[in-house]
Amino acid sequence: MIYYLLLPFLAILLIVLQNMVADIIFSGAMILELSIIVLVYAGFRLDLIKGSISAFVLGFVFDCISGSVLGLFALTHVLVFLFSFFVSAMLMTEKMFLIALFTFFCVTIEEFIVVIFYKLFYGFDMLPNIPAAFWLQAFIVGSLAPVFFYLMRKVEVFFYDKPAQSAKWAGTG
Amino acid sequence: MFFFRNYKTIVFIVILLAVIVTVLSCNLKQKSSGGLVPRIVFEIASPVQNVLNSSFKNVSDAWYRYLFLVGIEEENRNLKKAIDHMKSQLTVYQEGYLEAQRLRNLLDLKENKDFDFVIARVIGRGQTAFSQTILVNKGTADGILDGVPVTAGPGLVGRIMGASWHSAKVLPLIDENSNIDACVQRTRTQGIIRGAGSLGCTLKYIAKTQDVREGDVIITSGMGGVFPKGIMIGRVSRIDRLESGLFWKIYVAPVIDFSKLEEVSVLTSAGGGEDEVEK
Repeated sequence: MIYYLLLPFLAILLIVLQNMVADIIFSGAMILELSIIVLVYAGFRLDLIKGSISAFVLGFVFDCISGSVLGLFALTHVLVFLFSFFVSAMLMTEKMFLIALFTFFCVTIEEFIVVIFYKLFYGFDMLPNIPAAFWLQAFIVGSLAPVFFYLMRKVEVFFYDKPAQSAKWAGTG
Repeated sequence: MFFFRNYKTIVFIVILLAVIVTVLSCNLKQKSSGGLVPRIVFEIASPVQNVLNSSFKNVSDAWYRYLFLVGIEEENRNLKKAIDHMKSQLTVYQEGYLEAQRLRNLLDLKENKDFDFVIARVIGRGQTAFSQTILVNKGTADGILDGVPVTAGPGLVGRIMGASWHSAKVLPLIDENSNIDACVQRTRTQGIIRGAGSLGCTLKYIAKTQDVREGDVIITSGMGGVFPKGIMIGRVSRIDRLESGLFWKIYVAPVIDFSKLEEVSVLTSAGGGEDEVEK
């Protein structure tokens, strides 16, 4: 219960933090969706309901703070989580390069969903921006994902004495 | 599918997606973040953002200050170089200014007299135990002849004692070989100014009956036709009244500081010829 109470605040903290880091490093030229890494991690580690709610809250908070269409990033975040959850049954999460590659793929997928959404509903042509900003962001987030997983594994060892298993193998999915 | 083993889970996911799609479709048209929940989220996010922002700002300010200090060191080094360069330039400009002042004084003298002058630069000194000649960079090609007077700013320097085409040798009035007709400006008493080396000059052949005081101005008398009349030579610095004989021994301090002489004006229209130099 405490998890669900703290979740919105942690989500706010994460979104604010990622916006600020992106603003400092890239001066507003591009965003840095570190929340995708959290979603992938959640897909690999959490159970379906807990992870879905986390993804929804994270996406919703992202929508609220970023000022995008309410529900858009909530949808993409939940989809990324579900995709991660599905893939986690087949992916060896210990392999760091696979984590990086998968995160890169998730970021790319999410960006394409957003681009297609805006193209379909608002007629915005954001495709020319994809190579410059989107690939770079996907590359950076993908590179940071193994670091995040490594740190979380250390945290898991610190709190539980051993790394937590994926939801599927833990039988909680 | 094994991860959808729980029926409730499937229902939950479907409901969640349906809620999201509904929210999304409701907000599609207005494309606004209005509503109570977004406001609450934003309200909560604002202080978090402020705290994080101020923290990041402090860190980034400290970092930029550090970078600024690193830049300051480089800038300081460059500024010191620039200051050194400007100091050398300033020295050049000051030299130019002082030179201009000296030349202006020479020009004033030239305008005050009805003579033609050639401005020459001192290029060397021929100092020996018995002679203190000065070399200038103008010669016969510039109209300078042997014997013509040489002045500088306030007074008399001496006379030309030998000239080549593009340089000349000046016999200064403090040279012991130099003798110039002079007079005391106040009393018009005439005598001979003779060089005395480091002591300056001595005014000779002034009878003890004449009134001469320390501080009296000594000028050229114009006698002998070599030096124009009225050019200042110096001031009486000391009178030796105890000396026996018919004449006073009078010491004269030249008005010209020969150690700082850089430019002189050479009188070209003077009709030199008479030898006043005892050799």
